[in-house]
Amino acid sequence: MAELLIKNGVVFDPINGVKGEKMDICIRDGKIVESLHDEHSAKVIDASGCVVMPGGVDAHAHIAGGKVNAGRLLRPEDGRRGLEPKRGVCKPCTGYSVPNTWATGYRYAKMGYTFVMEPAMPPLTARHTHEELVDTPIIDKAALPLIDNNWMTLQYVRDENYEMLSAYVAWMIRATRGYGIKIVNPGGTEAWGFAKNCGLDDPVPHWDVTPADIIRALAHANERYEMPHSIHVHGNMLGHPGNYETTLRTFDVVKGISASMQRQTMHTTHIQFFCYGGTSWKDFESKADEIAKYVNENEHITIDLGSIILGDTTTMTADGPMEYTLYRLTGRKWTNHDVELETGAGIVPFLYSSRNPVHSVQWTIGLELALLLKNPWKVVLSTDHPNAGPFIGYPILISMLMSKKRRDEVMKEVHPAVFDRSSLASIDRELDFHEIAIITRASAAKILGLHNHGKGHLGVGADADVAIYGISHEESDAGAVQRAFLNAKYTIKRGEIVVKDGEIVATPEGRTFYVEPECEESLMNEVMKDIERMFKEYYTVSLSNYPVQDVYTPHPYVIRAPMSG
Amino acid sequence: MAVYTDVLCPFCGCICDDIVVEVGEDGKITKVRGACAIGRSKIMGHDRMESPAIREDGELRDCSYDEAIKRAAEILADARRPLLYGWSSTVCETDRVGVELAVEIGAIIDNTASVCHGPSILAIQDVGLPSCTLGQIRNRADIVIYWGSNPVFAHPNHMKRYSYLSKGRFTPGGKKDRKMVVVDVRETKSAKLADLFVKVRPGGDFLVFSALRAILQGHEDVVPDEVAGVEKKDLLSLAEMIKNANFIITFFGMGVTHSGARHNNIVNAIEFTRAAHLHTKATIMPMRGHYNVNGFNQVCTWLLGYPFSIDLSQGYPWYNPGETGAVDVLVHGECDAALIISSDPASHFPADAVRHLARIPVIQIDPYPNPTTEFADVVIPSAICGVEAEGSVYRMDSVPLRVRKIVDSKFMADEEIIRRILEEVRAIKEKEGE
Amino acid sequence: MRQIVFKLRDGALRSGAAEVPVDVSPLTPDKLFGEGEDEIKSTKVWWGNRQENVERIFEVSVSGDASSAEEVKVVFEGELRKVKRIGYEMSAGEIVAEGSVGMHCGARMRGGRITVNGSADCWAGCEMHGGTLIIEGDAGDNLCACYRGETTGMTGGTVVVKGNAGECIAQYMAGGEITVRGNADMLAGLDMKGGKIVIEGDAVMPGANMSGGEIIVKGKVIDMMPSFKYEETVTIDGEEYKKYRGDFAIGEKKAKGTLLIRS
Repeated sequence: MAELLIKNGVVFDPINGVKGEKMDICIRDGKIVESLHDEHSAKVIDASGCVVMPGGVDAHAHIAGGKVNAGRLLRPEDGRRGLEPKRGVCKPCTGYSVPNTWATGYRYAKMGYTFVMEPAMPPLTARHTHEELVDTPIIDKAALPLIDNNWMTLQYVRDENYEMLSAYVAWMIRATRGYGIKIVNPGGTEAWGFAKNCGLDDPVPHWDVTPADIIRALAHANERYEMPHSIHVHGNMLGHPGNYETTLRTFDVVKGISASMQRQTMHTTHIQFFCYGGTSWKDFESKADEIAKYVNENEHITIDLGSIILGDTTTMTADGPMEYTLYRLTGRKWTNHDVELETGAGIVPFLYSSRNPVHSVQWTIGLELALLLKNPWKVVLSTDHPNAGPFIGYPILISMLMSKKRRDEVMKEVHPAVFDRSSLASIDRELDFHEIAIITRASAAKILGLHNHGKGHLGVGADADVAIYGISHEESDAGAVQRAFLNAKYTIKRGEIVVKDGEIVATPEGRTFYVEPECEESLMNEVMKDIERMFKEYYTVSLSNYPVQDVYTPHPYVIRAPMSG
Repeated sequence: MAVYTDVLCPFCGCICDDIVVEVGEDGKITKVRGACAIGRSKIMGHDRMESPAIREDGELRDCSYDEAIKRAAEILADARRPLLYGWSSTVCETDRVGVELAVEIGAIIDNTASVCHGPSILAIQDVGLPSCTLGQIRNRADIVIYWGSNPVFAHPNHMKRYSYLSKGRFTPGGKKDRKMVVVDVRETKSAKLADLFVKVRPGGDFLVFSALRAILQGHEDVVPDEVAGVEKKDLLSLAEMIKNANFIITFFGMGVTHSGARHNNIVNAIEFTRAAHLHTKATIMPMRGHYNVNGFNQVCTWLLGYPFSIDLSQGYPWYNPGETGAVDVLVHGECDAALIISSDPASHFPADAVRHLARIPVIQIDPYPNPTTEFADVVIPSAICGVEAEGSVYRMDSVPLRVRKIVDSKFMADEEIIRRILEEVRAIKEKEGE
Repeated sequence: MRQIVFKLRDGALRSGAAEVPVDVSPLTPDKLFGEGEDEIKSTKVWWGNRQENVERIFEVSVSGDASSAEEVKVVFEGELRKVKRIGYEMSAGEIVAEGSVGMHCGARMRGGRITVNGSADCWAGCEMHGGTLIIEGDAGDNLCACYRGETTGMTGGTVVVKGNAGECIAQYMAGGEITVRGNADMLAGLDMKGGKIVIEGDAVMPGANMSGGEIIVKGKVIDMMPSFKYEETVTIDGEEYKKYRGDFAIGEKKAKGTLLIRS
């Protein structure tokens, strides 16, 4: 079938040890191949003077589902900021921090990204997440179901019944067509059902467990199967001054638990929000160095940055109590949506201002972390879109990580508190293209376990997801880097050219990846009895109407997760 | 005979999903159990339109689906300001193609929310919505307020399944563990069941909400002795009740969305909820009418960034209820063609809007004839969603569900009809381009 | 001075039984400044879902010269009720509309002057930043307010309505000055944070959710907000006014709005 040849590009393929080599990439039938059958009839892209990387992999961006849509609904004014009329193959686009599904797919593709993980899917509303993912063009995607504040999880953790917990987790991941286990403010979001919250070692009201117990138990449950990904954790006390201590204790909670695959035991997400020192907003300071020190010295943790993009954005998380605090602090409009027996959500618009000392210091932290962490394989570039900023800000972050000069320029424009409350000014390190290729695709692929499924690399057999950036591998100008990464010269998705010269030229549908953990039948039958009781006594939908039906994953990619040996 | 359990009822925003339906040998539904009277009537079905038809010389002439679809496409492709309206009683799959059609022809697309809970959506865009799914009410709420809403009449199973009468984890005693408050302009059937009924002067809700907000924030000294027909002492005792509660929910309906300050009533109701949240867990939820009115709003929002009343004439979504709503463009005599799907504007729209609708070419897609059929120029009968066609729907609390197909039918599904119209329109435009 | 006259052709907006509005946002003095007559006549405007040459819809006549946008005057004539966005985002120059105009007249304007010799439909002066807008007749709802979801409306400029005004005027106003010679429908100055509104006639529920700014009502107030606090009686230009502070529904700390009602 269709063959494509990318010639003369300088390739960065970290998973396969390619660090800026001039080489050709051969593609046939949507996959990378060793060589072409017929060079003369193949389509050729001349990538001279360009940097070539695998398609970007985003491990954490809120792009689909109930709270994302509630965010769009909440902010018609954000919609007006990103208006693009329909053009060519593109449908109309709206939104800046909460783009519509068409804009989401197009804008990621234009940045050379080809896989995005929706990180927080309430199980009861999983159908909604899947519907939006299906309507997000071009990119492949997956979603992580929230399983940490669920009443059955809390019950099994309280009873220390880890066998049943692992069966419940398997059932949940299958019923929701999810990719793994998401944890957000464990215990705290359940407490929010009555407007309360709790810290890492506090007992959850009405349940005799602590958030630490929940995290530990779910880590064990996850590792009972050959899950491609570890537990994915948004811990307690997000956004509170002084929370870095909780973060370090949270890291320790799973220390000693072995992963069932060659990977981390816990991925802690948008860690920037958890690196805060001080006791109040007045003496607020960055503790990125403490967090980086721990992660440098330990192998069981990976992070994604959650780095701030200055300007207006929309915060949205399952951390209901945190969002309420933000609403009380800012007085801005606030949507809350607690989901029975399972989780919650809060949405508040937010402006990160360069004139504000706290926001400015927050802004330094994401960058500090990326530069202080010695091993880029432990790091994924993210903005917790849209919480710290919209994903189209990634090129801004890339340009700053590659250029001390650019960082210094921006630091002069923000509040001077950044010089005393953060160590960013003293960091000279500049990431190179190889390291950028790691943190924007290769590391995420490994952390998510997708490298075994064709993502994040350009080895033979990988999906032909390729990003060609119109920039020399010797370029050092931050502005040129930023422009090049915002609008790729070419983006190829499964062998099809979807972006050319920064414009969308094709809009194929992507696939939805999900995992099927394989639990023993007898255990599953046991847990079903408890599940049936939950539905009968507490849920307001019938069990038979709960699981996500086939029709919601029209282009599925299924990963089996047998029980670990 | 076949028995189907856990069937979802495609009538109101409650979407009860434990209905039992029996189907006879002839493939017709014989019995419906567990639904309220209105739901049962919807599922059992009644007289419907038998054939597609096109109006000629004032009379509807039967024709094929192909003919009707072609004629519909011609009308829409030609129009300069077409309106695509209705959507609330069909499934999301239909809505999705409807949005694509609107984008293709540069139409105004709108659903029944603009004459129903549209004001609630406008309010959310102003101040947000502190809410939850219905199971949170069932399991936790000890104070249930129905404000400008009469569930006994419009949502008969609501109290039993989700609120006052239901039993949950923290409310095992059901109504013994709860108090119900009804606020309305007269004593409705729902009010008669309440522990507390507060009678408000018509149009006075806005003032009452502001007064309660002031009281809940410790400024009762500012509030006069009587506000919109409610005595201050009653406002104070309602505030006390709220302060001592564990979890309060305010369900609200048409009584506040379309009277007095309209959408600003809802803004104020939400701000009242936020003031209550200073003391306890406080939530608020609109009592959505049609079973999939919310579904259309969801689909429209994720595809176009806005929930309803969208003008796509300039190639991008322009959202401005009051200008771009169906009633707006009809009352102003602006639109020159309309497609009406699964709704009945002739019965529900203001007279001026209906008068203009009768003057322009109208395409109607519906299982049943209704007053709009009286002047429709093209009539296309469709399968009944939730009975004869399956699809996605969104409950009043935005829980996504899937209604099922129980019986076969000779009628084409809404989704397919719209898709074929879209294909025809594209063919017409391609030809014009030549 | 350069004068450009756009006269709506009779029946130009008719489509079947409908009158489809036309969007004239490209036809402001600053956008047309520097353009020759032919260029002006071939400006595209959206009429429904298709773009047309302005000449198809309006008779266009151009005279005189201008050395800056300030010296350009645009005149609209004919039946203008379906002509939307006159003066949209205008920054300089003058517009005169000889008749009642459609929605969004003067919306988002930053400078210059618009005179409407008739009434203005809804959203006139919406999100205005500067300039002057004079409406000889009535103004519709949402005069000088903001578009859905915004929390800042008018920030500057001067607006005079000689007739009555509709509902929710000046929502989220932050600056500028509005005078309504007639009555204002419900919720004038809703969510106001700054600026000044003078209503010479009656008002219904004025100042709800105010956190700043000043509203003066010379006529009657119908349905006074129950969350405003009487402070004192003051004299302005020899007349007595009752002064209220509000809106306490948003809490004492934020309630810094002033409502003056003539005794």
